[in-house]
Amino acid sequence: MKKFLKVFKLILTVLFFIYTTLLLSFMFLSPKENRFNFASNLQGVYLSQTVFNVLTFQFPNYSDAYFEQSVPFNKRGEFARGFELLNIAVELDPSLHLGYRGYMKLRFLRDYKNALIDFNRLDSLTSNFVDAPWGEDIDFLRGECYFGIKDYSKAIICLERSIENNTEDWVDLNTFVYLGLCEYELGNYEKSVSEHNRALKQSVNTPEAHFGLAQAYLKLNNIDKAKEHILNSELNIGYKRNDPYKEFQNELYLSEIHQFKQELMRENEK
Amino acid sequence: MMNLKPKNKLNLFLLFSFLLAFILTFWSNDQLTQRVGDISFNEELDDSSFKVCDETRILQYYSVNANYQNGRKAIKKEIWEAIETLTFETHGYITFRFIINCKGEIGRFRVKSIDNELTTNEFSPDKIKALQKLIENLKHWNAGTFNSKTFDSYFVLNFKIENGKITDIF
Repeated sequence: MKKFLKVFKLILTVLFFIYTTLLLSFMFLSPKENRFNFASNLQGVYLSQTVFNVLTFQFPNYSDAYFEQSVPFNKRGEFARGFELLNIAVELDPSLHLGYRGYMKLRFLRDYKNALIDFNRLDSLTSNFVDAPWGEDIDFLRGECYFGIKDYSKAIICLERSIENNTEDWVDLNTFVYLGLCEYELGNYEKSVSEHNRALKQSVNTPEAHFGLAQAYLKLNNIDKAKEHILNSELNIGYKRNDPYKEFQNELYLSEIHQFKQELMRENEK
Repeated sequence: MMNLKPKNKLNLFLLFSFLLAFILTFWSNDQLTQRVGDISFNEELDDSSFKVCDETRILQYYSVNANYQNGRKAIKKEIWEAIETLTFETHGYITFRFIINCKGEIGRFRVKSIDNELTTNEFSPDKIKALQKLIENLKHWNAGTFNSKTFDSYFVLNFKIENGKITDIF
């Protein structure tokens, strides 16, 4: 019995040591890519942050680790810490992380001027090809930035360049919507109509384009067309452009459509 | 130095290895249950009448589509008149993070602020209180949902301040 107890204790001791050694060796000695993937999959959890802290301590030039570590902070509104980490990533590898930083400044902070600085710097570093920060064409994003700072003429130049680079059939259809909005803001209502129609050519179910058309037709005193498009906008609201993380500058809501319908009714009664 | 018998040595190793494994497991579990941006109840800051439905499962707004009815645009529209009168001495962003509970009520407000260089910044506590009051008066919150079930969730609302005035809410 005594011998059995001794063997049992020995096995337990070995098992506890193996368990501890495995955990610690994964944390400190396993390949950095494995630890990176583990921490990325646990995004936002404190353990993930600890693993990133170990990684960046052991590999101070591992820019991807700083970038990935920043993500939950920025998503959750802790921008000081998020951008502190992201800035290190950009410093270490600008061509790899500038696009994402610009994208975050544009979409999460509406910091249009600084987003533009990042996009322009990225463009200057990668002159041989057209960048697509976070999967979106750089000129489309630059167009959005100029739209945000109300420089509609420059927005139009960028958006047109995006169409030129991606071709009419393949460009993001929101490029046409923004072009329509820019022309509307500049008072070119006929041109606004033709730009929104380009969006509808790609997809007839684009509520933002129908809404833009309704607004432009109202300015052109074509109430029947305005009515037709506001109804189409309402009908297709389920296809609107949205993103659970943030609200777009031109995000469309049903309440705006209803409000515009009332405006149209008042115009009709005049 | 004390000369331990083999039996005592084994007991000591067992105890040591057990304690090491226990501490590591406890620490890992603690690290796995805490998340960036979590807000726990603080009796000095929080209204005790605000209750969450499940303290152990407060999700992020983007995972369960929690939002204000007609979006942040509607918030901007609703509070814009009151906000226009507010002036600030510094510029940057004030970010409110709070909970929308499963009944569509809000509470547990926390505030972070940054300057235009995106580093931590301080804004007047009175102005922050005024903004919080405006948010608290908003009544059309949609709790997060998934598979027809409602959840508590964290929400983020940003105020952009330029030239002493709020210029955007999102």
